[in-house]
Amino acid sequence: MSTKPFVEAIETYAQDIVDTVREPLLMLDTNLRVQSANRAFYETFHVSPNETERQLIYELGNGQWDIPDLRTLLEDVIPASSVFNDYELEHTFPIIGRRVMLLNGRKLRAGSHAAIIVLAMEDVTERRRAEADFRAIETYAQDIVDTVREPLLILDKTLRVQSGNRAFYHTFLVSAEETENRLIYELGNGQWDIPALRTLLEDIVPKSSVFNDFELEHDFPTLGRRVMLLNARKLQAGHHGELLVLAMEDVTERRRAEEEVAKAKEASEIANRTKSLFLANMSHELRTPLNAIVGYSEMLQEEAVEQNLESFDSDLGKINASGRHLLALINDILDLSKIEAGKMELYLESFDLNALIDDVASTIQPMVVANANTFNIVRPADLGRMLADQVKVRQALYNLLSNAAKFTHEGTITLTAERHRMDSSEWVVFRVADTGIGLAAEKILRLFQDFTQADASTTRKFGGTGLGLALTRRFCQMMGGDVTVHSLPGEGSTFTIKLPADVSEAKMESSEPASESSGTLNVGNRSTDPLPEPNTCVLVIDDDPAQRDLMRRFLTSEGFCVRSARGGEEGLRLARQLVPIAITLDVMMPEMDGWSVLEALKADPALSGVPVVMLTMVDDSERGFALGADDYVMKPVNRRRLGKILKRYSCADPPCPILIVDDDAATRGLMRTMLEKQGCIVTEAENGEAALASMELNRPSLIFLDLLMPVMDGFVFVDRVRQRREWRTIPIVVVTAHELSSSDRRRLNGNVEEVIQKSGRPADDLQAQVSEALKNFGVFTSTPLPL
Amino acid sequence: MPRILLVEDNEMNRDMLSRRLERRGYEVLIAVDGQLGLEMAREESPDLILMDMSLPVMDGWEATRTLKTAPETRHIPVIALTAHAMSTDREKALEAGCDDYDTKPIELPRLLGKIEALLGGTEKTPVGDATP
Repeated sequence: MSTKPFVEAIETYAQDIVDTVREPLLMLDTNLRVQSANRAFYETFHVSPNETERQLIYELGNGQWDIPDLRTLLEDVIPASSVFNDYELEHTFPIIGRRVMLLNGRKLRAGSHAAIIVLAMEDVTERRRAEADFRAIETYAQDIVDTVREPLLILDKTLRVQSGNRAFYHTFLVSAEETENRLIYELGNGQWDIPALRTLLEDIVPKSSVFNDFELEHDFPTLGRRVMLLNARKLQAGHHGELLVLAMEDVTERRRAEEEVAKAKEASEIANRTKSLFLANMSHELRTPLNAIVGYSEMLQEEAVEQNLESFDSDLGKINASGRHLLALINDILDLSKIEAGKMELYLESFDLNALIDDVASTIQPMVVANANTFNIVRPADLGRMLADQVKVRQALYNLLSNAAKFTHEGTITLTAERHRMDSSEWVVFRVADTGIGLAAEKILRLFQDFTQADASTTRKFGGTGLGLALTRRFCQMMGGDVTVHSLPGEGSTFTIKLPADVSEAKMESSEPASESSGTLNVGNRSTDPLPEPNTCVLVIDDDPAQRDLMRRFLTSEGFCVRSARGGEEGLRLARQLVPIAITLDVMMPEMDGWSVLEALKADPALSGVPVVMLTMVDDSERGFALGADDYVMKPVNRRRLGKILKRYSCADPPCPILIVDDDAATRGLMRTMLEKQGCIVTEAENGEAALASMELNRPSLIFLDLLMPVMDGFVFVDRVRQRREWRTIPIVVVTAHELSSSDRRRLNGNVEEVIQKSGRPADDLQAQVSEALKNFGVFTSTPLPL
Repeated sequence: MPRILLVEDNEMNRDMLSRRLERRGYEVLIAVDGQLGLEMAREESPDLILMDMSLPVMDGWEATRTLKTAPETRHIPVIALTAHAMSTDREKALEAGCDDYDTKPIELPRLLGKIEALLGGTEKTPVGDATP
């Protein structure tokens, strides 16, 4: 066999291999002329064999391979070593653009062939770019880590430190060398070997990939006692494997600050109480000697008049007037601080307006005379009475009149009083007009501010605290009215007070129930209260009138109707009469204390279901719950909490709806029509489960319940409703088409108030029963009807 | 001569008010705290009591409540003397059973008006021992 075909076969074979190789190859002779190239070369550089073979490499593609580095390689490196590896060449090729090529070269001698140079080119542009990107990302990540101001440690799975950030080294005063590749527990002479940290890293972290805000308090040798907040994330970090990033936040200062804030808050509360107490004491201490000054000077004045000692009379008059003035100033300051502390209360009484005006007029007369003014009163004879805080109305009027008298000389002061009907309510309007110095617009703006007089020089010239008008306005606003002013400089001023004729109507929707105690004088008759809306009333039992007043205002503003009782006896009587949706009960009361009242309430079958919230100074919740209290609020009462508790027992969005639970849409429709005719708000549910869901949203005041329903039947529903403390008082009326078996009745016994048979009855008969139920449960009936 | 029991712990107030009342023809009995006031009211059965509210030993509210629950003293009118604008004091006074109240510093003509109104009402139905 001739060797020639064999050699040809091998050459073909070699060429096939060369063509299969995916990286471009060039075969050069020793003169650096291209002998051949592989397919990958032609494809990569978009050239044909004709343009390539037998060409000098540097001439290829219009000289695009004439690269100085390549010349060095081919002309200096290859002849010397016959091999070169991974020579990286970055070059802009006209056709394919800027590329990074990795060149490998071999000088080969293949049998009879002359030596050839095989030049393999690998285009690593993409790889280099990716590597650069990756490095950038790593740097970026490291930069972030270093920038983070809280110390970070990056641990591997074995809890060895991979790296820490700058903040870590800085905070713990250690170097990277002392830290990296060490077990976390070994760091800083074992200062991180903390049992809590071991638990965290070895028990908690393996089970969850994240933990937040693990608080660790520890004595670090380098730092001292610190509170650290640890946060951790487990990460999969490519070739780094699973890493744990542990961030440590030093919250020592924050905790300290929080403690200080809490302490400061407590201190300020104490200070505030002390201030209130101080004011109350000061009021007494200042008034007592002033009373003596005022009283004795007045007494001596009387004697001086009797003995015709006129010069004494006028001097004693000055002492007396100054004493009264000082007293008035003290009272103003105390009143304002009371208003600011939220402690000012209204004491409403019914009084005769003309008598009040006469009284104020006689008080103001000396001031009017002092400036040679004329004082006119314009009023109808039938001005009638008003229900308001008489002392405050008097003070407001007095303030306006004394200002007018002070700032007017040889002029006229006119007090006009009228009744007006506005927006379907009665108003009393007082107008004080003077012909005095008047006020410029910019001064009017400051007029009602505390401690502000129209002009600082006014204080020197006219005296006063500058509180009179501020107090007047606050008083008027407390009573649901206001005071306004109209004035022009040089043309006098007119101040107008508008107050509701019945402040209790305007300000407080419900007032104290009429007192049973006899012998009260001048106390407004409060028995004219409209009857409360059914089933929205909360009964407040408290002996302290201030507390009752506070609760009434707050609960009224929360949308409850409020009745109050000043003691246990009255409370029990009212509870029986009203059957409130809830009772708030003060523990410390004279005569009958809250515990006894609670016992009596819970012993009365008609009232035992009414939720009772105990209000107390001392935490004695166990006793309360043992006696059947439903909730417990410490004094001073956190109003929001109380409001929330009481809302649980009423509906969130009054008027409370009536709930119809029946799977038959036609029956629901019929019932709805009947109920809406009676003015009820109706919600429907097609089974027990849907009913419970609807009750979560808004507590109904009455439930009409079918028994046989899919999903959750009426029996289960009743059980579920009665399990909830705040739902226990909702009356349930069963409306059923079936005769109840005795076992059915047993199951329902005590848990439903009434059963209506709906089958075989004309619709108007059902209507009558539904109306009857509404009457029974919508209004003041408490006694559950027997089945 | 109508007899008024003045229950007041402040010496100057007591002195002042008693002198001014005496000058207007009243006989004034004095007690310096609530407890003594209560005892004197029982023993002397005055025609009217002027009761300060903040008193030592037993305060005015408590003394009034006790007076108003005892059959032998229930009929005696009590005028509470309270500090300025202390609405809670006044309310408490009326709740305790006081027949009227007046504020300090005393406006004598106003107080006299109230005294006369209450005395006028009780003179028709004298109860207990006649006053000497």
